[in-house]
Amino acid sequence: MSVVPRLIVRFVRRELRTAEARILVLALAVAVASVGAVAMFSERVKAAFANQANVLLGADVMISGDRPLPESLIAEATARGLRTTLSTRFGSMVAAVRNDAVAPAGDTALSDVKAISGDYPLRGALEKRNAAGERVPFVASVHPGEVFVDERLAARLRVKAGDRIELGKLKPRVAQVFAEEPEVAGSFLSASPKVLMSDADVAASELLGPGSRATYRLQVAGDRAQEFAEAIKPRLGPGQRLETVRELRPEVRSTLERSEQFLGLAASFSVFLAVVAIVLALRRYLKREIDTATLFRTLGAGQRQTFLHFLGQFFVLALIACVLGVLLAFVAQALLAWAVRGLFASTLPPAGWLPLGKAFATGPILLLGFALPPLVALAATPPVRALRRELPAVNGGGVFAVLLGAIAVLAVVLMQSQDLQTGAIFVGGLIALVGLATGFAALLLWAIRRLVRHGRLGKLGGPQSWAYGLANLDRRRLSTALQIACLGLGVTTLIAVGFVRTDLFSAWQKSLPPDAPNRFLINIQPDQIESVRTLLPKTADGKPIALYPMVRGRLVAVNDKAVSPKDYADERAKRLVDREFNLSAAEALPPANKIVAGEYFAATDRGVMSIEDGIAATLGLKLGDRVTFDVAGEALEVRITSLRKVEWDSFRVNFFALLPEPTVAPLPKSYITAFHLPGSDSKTLPTIVNVAPNVLAIDVSEIMGRVRAIVDQVARALEFVFAFTLLAGLLTLYTAVVATQDERRYDTALIRTLGGTRRQIVASLIAEFSALGGAAGLLGVAGAIALTWTLATRILKIDFVASPSVWISGFALATGLTMLAGWLGTRSVLNTPPIQVLRE
Amino acid sequence: MTEPSKTDHLNAIPAIHADRVSRIVPLGERQLTILDDVSLTVARGETMAIVGASGSGKTTLLGLLAGLDRPDQGNVAWHGETISALSEEQLAIRRQGAIGFVFQSFQLLPALTALENVMLPLELAGARDAESRASAWLDRVGLGERVEHLPRQLSGGEQQRVAIARAFVADPKIVFADEPTGNLDTDTGAEIVELMFALNREQGTTLVLVTHDIELAARCNRVLRLARGKVVA
Ligand SMILES: Nc1ncnc2c1ncn2[C@@H]1O[C@H](COP(=O)(O)OP(=O)(O)OP(=O)(O)O)[C@@H](O)[C@H]1O
Ligand SMILES: [Mg+2]
Repeated sequence: MSVVPRLIVRFVRRELRTAEARILVLALAVAVASVGAVAMFSERVKAAFANQANVLLGADVMISGDRPLPESLIAEATARGLRTTLSTRFGSMVAAVRNDAVAPAGDTALSDVKAISGDYPLRGALEKRNAAGERVPFVASVHPGEVFVDERLAARLRVKAGDRIELGKLKPRVAQVFAEEPEVAGSFLSASPKVLMSDADVAASELLGPGSRATYRLQVAGDRAQEFAEAIKPRLGPGQRLETVRELRPEVRSTLERSEQFLGLAASFSVFLAVVAIVLALRRYLKREIDTATLFRTLGAGQRQTFLHFLGQFFVLALIACVLGVLLAFVAQALLAWAVRGLFASTLPPAGWLPLGKAFATGPILLLGFALPPLVALAATPPVRALRRELPAVNGGGVFAVLLGAIAVLAVVLMQSQDLQTGAIFVGGLIALVGLATGFAALLLWAIRRLVRHGRLGKLGGPQSWAYGLANLDRRRLSTALQIACLGLGVTTLIAVGFVRTDLFSAWQKSLPPDAPNRFLINIQPDQIESVRTLLPKTADGKPIALYPMVRGRLVAVNDKAVSPKDYADERAKRLVDREFNLSAAEALPPANKIVAGEYFAATDRGVMSIEDGIAATLGLKLGDRVTFDVAGEALEVRITSLRKVEWDSFRVNFFALLPEPTVAPLPKSYITAFHLPGSDSKTLPTIVNVAPNVLAIDVSEIMGRVRAIVDQVARALEFVFAFTLLAGLLTLYTAVVATQDERRYDTALIRTLGGTRRQIVASLIAEFSALGGAAGLLGVAGAIALTWTLATRILKIDFVASPSVWISGFALATGLTMLAGWLGTRSVLNTPPIQVLRE
Repeated sequence: MTEPSKTDHLNAIPAIHADRVSRIVPLGERQLTILDDVSLTVARGETMAIVGASGSGKTTLLGLLAGLDRPDQGNVAWHGETISALSEEQLAIRRQGAIGFVFQSFQLLPALTALENVMLPLELAGARDAESRASAWLDRVGLGERVEHLPRQLSGGEQQRVAIARAFVADPKIVFADEPTGNLDTDTGAEIVELMFALNREQGTTLVLVTHDIELAARCNRVLRLARGKVVA
């Protein structure tokens, strides 16, 4: 006898007539659907964020090179129907021209010149001020013989539209003064005032001689930009790089990553709910299958054949559920996208097939992960059970089953979040919770036995029907433990979801307060500190704003070995070594910084340094390395005594390298500060620049605005995702209670035939369900606290805030819902003739 | 011990032979012998009834004879082959299509129609004509009209007839039936009994049945009486 695929399919068709099989398929389909919908929707939202962040590049994709970029790149972009802009960026002195003569010294400034061809920018817009001083966006191309200058340069050179400036050999006319350009890529600490000129004028200006340093860029925009980026990525030559906003702007990167973490968490939670639904539905289904297995065995099916048959049957069921689930997922994510339609500037980009594929795989992985051990046991059903049905059914596989289930969950969570730590937390949480639930159930049952067995409940005045209800829980010990565990897990998930959505998320939002610094002043000379400080606003608590020293030094040696850009393969490392570092001093570890290795130096230490761990990794620097900087011709040697993590999205003044104050004191330095100005304030910066013309004032409110917009959008998108998860969770809880109704219905019907009154039955059910719901609620709350604490401190790195109101309402909700669902599931028994129930 | 049966000489090798089988189950600290040293022989095509009071060990003996359970002592042989020594898997293979069952309390799969329930033994054996054979058998037991009905849409007697059709559909050599008429009224019970004996005559099937029904027992070639796990007649 062999396994007949036809028989398997036929059996599945037959089984689908039963409620058990349908509920299993439905549970699995809902699991797949929620995993798929959340994953798909998250991907679309993430892609939308990426697009939005790319506005900061002024394009969808940007390629930079140290030399002019090959024509083939442009051809390739145009072939894909993309719009392109070539630009060349370099530094140059610019001077004002008055009455056709170059103005005297003082009206010159080192500027960041960008020579462009075509409309600029491709994404986002330049901004100019209208008559009322408000910023208005515009897109334009610069004509030969003209330049656009930014407000800072205009203020510095005291020029306005229509005036001329000297730019190399040329004296172009200022056609436009702009307030902001979208491309903010690059460190703003070194940003100079900006000039936009026409590409056609570069040769005549003679600004780019053979030895001059410039960055050549190709910016592209269009639907197929990402495809283009993927295609050319492997073919980039030395000195060429694909710029992404993530690499260029640490604060944007961490904002995006955080958003993705939150969305990933939502997806992981949906896996949790899926597990609850599947375990319960599976249990009920398998119970029915024992009869089928018994019959198979008596009719001469071997253990192997029986096993393979049921395995095949499960596989087909899973397949059906997955197809159904994926369809549901597709609809659900479309609904989600529709619900958030107003939130994003454009419609959400379509999701790829990957999340759907993953969701599809979730079904078989989870089902087989949990079904395999019981299936093995099922196949071993002794045929003699046909003669004695009351023989104990085979056990579920014990430790092996738990292990396999855990692996399945881990696989699915990893598939969702691709982060081993998150996966470990979820699986560890799952196992701990099951263990806790078992212990808890045992304790509860012990208490019930003591209460009921010795008639204490009666003595305490409790009605006998309560005792009966509680004794019911004790009679179905295993079932009770499982129900408490599953309900508890469901409650944990629901509370954790609510908690992540409200408390954790707002903790993150708060890390970017509305009064975060949005203006930077750079290059303040020591003798200007006092005069600048008087012009600055005070902090919220009335203190003067802090100014930080900044020393520029070039990295020249590590552990006495000279280094140069050639020594590094990594493009970013090359650039870092090529440029000057900003070294600063801080007596104590600044806020938004965290030591990850070593110890922060004491105020009295000399010749030591604390460095940001990311840059240390890029440059291959370790704790204890001696690093030599060239500071204005003098060598400065410091030893790395600590590595720091910096929260870049805090928008404070942050430095890669921090030294003790005594070490910095004798070095030539300027000062830097950051502070908050309301958007309406257009006077403070020009006043400061008037008093101290060498000071560079930078407005980062634009970037902050974008980051904040992203955070707000994540917040609202998450609302929807979590609402969806919550809904799926409630559904799961309901199924959880209903899936365990059979025994209860039978018992209740039996009591009715024996003359139990409605009141007695209701009282016994209430006792049973409130004990069950209360236990699940307690367990769920405990689990939720542990889970959210771990997530907050380990994954999201956010301060954990206790919120008893969420816990209490979670507990109340869990107990209430269990009672309600239990009541709904059993109620009909009271209104149906018992014989009908008994015959079911 | 039992007397040699009237038809024994027709077949040299008996269909079933039990040699001093015992079944012992643990009962708390003690061992409880629920079947004690039972020997019997059933010839091919013969009918045997196992009778006795409730709890006397009838179902236990049937399970051992049918190879669904293993004796703690002694051997059971089918057609001369000792089955007690076979592995579960080998035993399963011997049962395929060769043994039919009608159980005391365990009957049809509720999710399957009458027809599908009857088809099951054939399908498991990989037979191609399962459907036509099964529906022919349902016709024979008088349920030709009810093929598409689920067990819960059938009466107890009808369900029992479906079970009998299932037991005989694969042309088994031996059919074991545990109180096939136990849950039925006298008339329906008699109908079912007629059916089984007719099949026994037509197919030459060996029939072993447990019953409380004295009339039914009397129609069998042989009657084995059990009392507290021992053969008393
Ligand atoms: N696995 C077992 N464990 C303990 N006792 C058992 C087991 N199987 C059977 N018994 C006991 O052995 C005795 C014989 O049981 P069996 O089912 O064979 O009786 P029976 O003759 O079929 O009774 P009935 O006519 O009521 O069906 C009974 O007392 C039963 O309780
Ligand atoms: Mg019996």
